[in-house]
Amino acid sequence: MPAESCALPWGERERQRGLRNAPAVSAGNDGSRQGHMAGESLNRIDDTVLVREAQRGDRAAFEDLVRRYDQAVLRLALRLTGSEHEAQDIYQEAFLKAYRNVGNFRFECSFYTWIYRIVTNLCLDHLRRKKVRKEEAGVVTNADGEEFSVIDHAADERSGANPERDLLRRELGSQIGKALELLTPRERMVFELKHYHGLKLRTVGEMLNTTEETAKNTLFRATQKLRGTLAELR
Amino acid sequence: MKCEWVRQNIVLHVYDELADDARYELDQHVARCADCAAQLQAAREFRTTMATVKVVEPSPNLLTSSRMRLQEALETAQQGGFWTRLTFDPGVWLRQVRFSPALAAILVLVGFGGGIGATYRTMKDGQQTPVTVTAPSAEANITGIRSITPVPGSNQVNIKYDTVNTQETAGSLNDVHIQQLLLFAAQNNVNSGVRVDSVDLLKQRLNDSRVREALVYTLRYDNNPGVRSKALEGLGSYVRDDVRVRDAVLETLVSDANPGLRTEALRVLEPVRADASVRTVLERLAAKDQNQFIRRHSGELLAQLPQID
Repeated sequence: MPAESCALPWGERERQRGLRNAPAVSAGNDGSRQGHMAGESLNRIDDTVLVREAQRGDRAAFEDLVRRYDQAVLRLALRLTGSEHEAQDIYQEAFLKAYRNVGNFRFECSFYTWIYRIVTNLCLDHLRRKKVRKEEAGVVTNADGEEFSVIDHAADERSGANPERDLLRRELGSQIGKALELLTPRERMVFELKHYHGLKLRTVGEMLNTTEETAKNTLFRATQKLRGTLAELR
Repeated sequence: MKCEWVRQNIVLHVYDELADDARYELDQHVARCADCAAQLQAAREFRTTMATVKVVEPSPNLLTSSRMRLQEALETAQQGGFWTRLTFDPGVWLRQVRFSPALAAILVLVGFGGGIGATYRTMKDGQQTPVTVTAPSAEANITGIRSITPVPGSNQVNIKYDTVNTQETAGSLNDVHIQQLLLFAAQNNVNSGVRVDSVDLLKQRLNDSRVREALVYTLRYDNNPGVRSKALEGLGSYVRDDVRVRDAVLETLVSDANPGLRTEALRVLEPVRADASVRTVLERLAAKDQNQFIRRHSGELLAQLPQID
């Protein structure tokens, strides 16, 4: 199994829990590569232990697995659906599906890749339905049904006290949102996983049940389209 | 041809997806070709532009409510079907058979090793068994909050919480870590005393919408009336400005099981009694609520309102 397929998304390593049924080992606070790799491989072993326990019907073990990856899952779903409510539905459906089918998990890929595969499939279905409905780009709803823009939120946080820069960022954010909406669901998924979630294309390929080469071609097409659309919008 | 190949691979170069030799080749070409260098620069600018939009992290509240919802669903969910478990899977069977000799060999070796080790240890009198002490992980997830103790006369607070081992931290209410622990305690703790303490402290930070949301959640779903009462006490001042708070207080007034809390909710809603949603609820309560005090007081509040034609 390729090493990349076990790589964790941004910020995930920082929230790893103490190991279950395995000795606690520092993952290298000094940032040394050796410690880092030790942390990664231990994490993989720990996942395997938890999956085996979950396969024996231990719900607590499954909940431990959920807590390892649920923030990343929710982040991806939130980013792709643009709605807290829908992201929560995808989160729920993905982990329930994983729970029901964990007995069939054969360790042919990491648990992380497997759960991401489930989530990406659900998100792709959502994007396809959304494409048909042609919902308004960039505007999303929170759990209370209020509409707001994720992009505007992001711009606000970093604009500081410069309203002009803030306005430009909002405009740019809105243009990016529109450009992303014009991609096909698969192009959007590959671009999001690569650009915003920092995954290797080999991992992306595994998640989408395709080859690394196809993922590369899809990324190329997505960037070409985005550049074209952004140039037109400006 | 070379330029064509470079342009096909520039994106992969920008996203660090090129193999070392291909990257070296591309860099060499770009150093000599002005057009391709411009293309590479444009691709880098595109990546920077796209990075303008950052990934929005899910809020702690969203994460917590998602986890709670999932936990509830898992209570009734079942792993696979009974027949699925009984189904003969040749793949698994073959895999098990394949590894059986290796596993048997490992068991024999472990047995020998264990026996030799035990004999050696009994022969060595007075020798201490080494104890391995594992360093606590600072980033381990929290499993529960043991206690919350405010420091009198300051905004400092001491929090004792469990990870794998119990840990303790101290800090100001302005500290994000302290706020996260308090929010966690308000929604996830099994000890209602701790929830009361956390809600009591969070009341001081109600200008933060996350805190307000957490208290609204507490008011709606906490099973302890004391904790709900604390939340209501804090949220009272936002009933005029925050519709979600107003709705939660209305919900308490209509359906809370505790009559004291319903009475308190009625008092909290007095300043906004002219609001259409409040008026509707008051009319309903005045007409047919089972609690005599609520019925009478709702009627009195309605009587103070100007008539709407």
